Amino acid sequence: MSSPPIWRLAPGQRLVHRCHDGECVLFNDLTGDTHLLGQDVLDVLGALRDMPRTAAGLAQDAGAALDPEWCAELDELLADLAALDLIAPDLIAPGLIEPLPGTQPC
Amino acid sequence: MLTVASLGERELRARLRGPGLRLQTGPFVTCVHSPLAPLAATLGTMYGDYPVLEEGALADFHVRLSGSTGLRRFLRPQVHFHYDGMAPFQPLPLDQAFPMFEWAMNWCVSSQANSWLVIHAAVIEKDGLAAILPAPPGSGKSTLCAALVNRGWRLLSDELTLVRLDDGKIDPLPRPVSLKNASIGIIRDYAPAAAFTRPVADTVKGTVAHMRASSDSVARAGQAAAPAWIVFPKWQAGAAAELTPVPQARAHMRLAENAFNYSLLGETGFHTVARLVDEVRTFDFHYSVLDDAIAVFERLLAERA
Repeated sequence: MSSPPIWRLAPGQRLVHRCHDGECVLFNDLTGDTHLLGQDVLDVLGALRDMPRTAAGLAQDAGAALDPEWCAELDELLADLAALDLIAPDLIAPGLIEPLPGTQPC
Repeated sequence: MLTVASLGERELRARLRGPGLRLQTGPFVTCVHSPLAPLAATLGTMYGDYPVLEEGALADFHVRLSGSTGLRRFLRPQVHFHYDGMAPFQPLPLDQAFPMFEWAMNWCVSSQANSWLVIHAAVIEKDGLAAILPAPPGSGKSTLCAALVNRGWRLLSDELTLVRLDDGKIDPLPRPVSLKNASIGIIRDYAPAAAFTRPVADTVKGTVAHMRASSDSVARAGQAAAPAWIVFPKWQAGAAAELTPVPQARAHMRLAENAFNYSLLGETGFHTVARLVDEVRTFDFHYSVLDDAIAVFERLLAERA
């Protein structure tokens, strides 16, 4: 069974953004696109910039590790962010960052 | 100051046929070549107040509008547009020479002027404050713009809003206002003192006519304005004139969609739009009656005062 991917902010992304009333615009340094995101999504990106982690780690940070519906949405979100080149699986140090104790896989 | 009108008809035609007419519109100088007498006459009428630079002055754009050669001169003659020797567009029927000139001038700016963020939007000003009206064709943008500039607002541009990259101010580019189809009659009735070109039918945009920019707007083409509002207009039959706030992040995305060079400018484009959105109030605007629409703009202005 393969390990869940450890996500991090894509190299080169600086999260240049502007937020207004819970909605944010984000400049994608890699594609030149601008994305309209919720503040919560920007928070996810900020968390992955601060520390690469698995979906389970993110879920635990959000206090939702045991909510399967939330975890499924998070997996979908991470896939979408990866498709936009905003995040990438951490290929440099797989296995070095262990899921936090007690974390359930998403 | 030398202007198109002060050249006189003969000299205007001589320059167009010979060394080129160096025509200043806003921050740009265009060197125009054309042997077409009807185009010269319309240029003389619609651009009479505009500054002309002397021969040899540097020009930002070099354009040529010429007629057909060979049998085409007699059989459905056409007008051809050349930019720096290239022909970026298909020729059009000869009676569309002036609309083609206007579209070509827009193309020059929208495709080349990357020292500004160029937004596909009308922009007008009063008391130093500019309202930007971005909208797709058919939304009533030009009709609303034409009405406003005939009721005391200054025309900065009917089509291309030039946002400075360094300080976010709007540089004017006043040129004739393009009106289409039913809008032509509406504005003729609304502003009977304004000057219009003869309507040209069967263009790709339907019937088009151009309304001359006021002398005041041309004379003040060097006076930048501070953006105060972004209003996305939409004419809708029977609609009351009503503003609806647009959330700022969404306004950012819509402005980006309406800008010709947002992506090309990269992060600079992002910051320019972000600053613009920070500095203005943003609205959707539905209207059906021009006087009611103008009253709404006056109210916006009064609120700022």
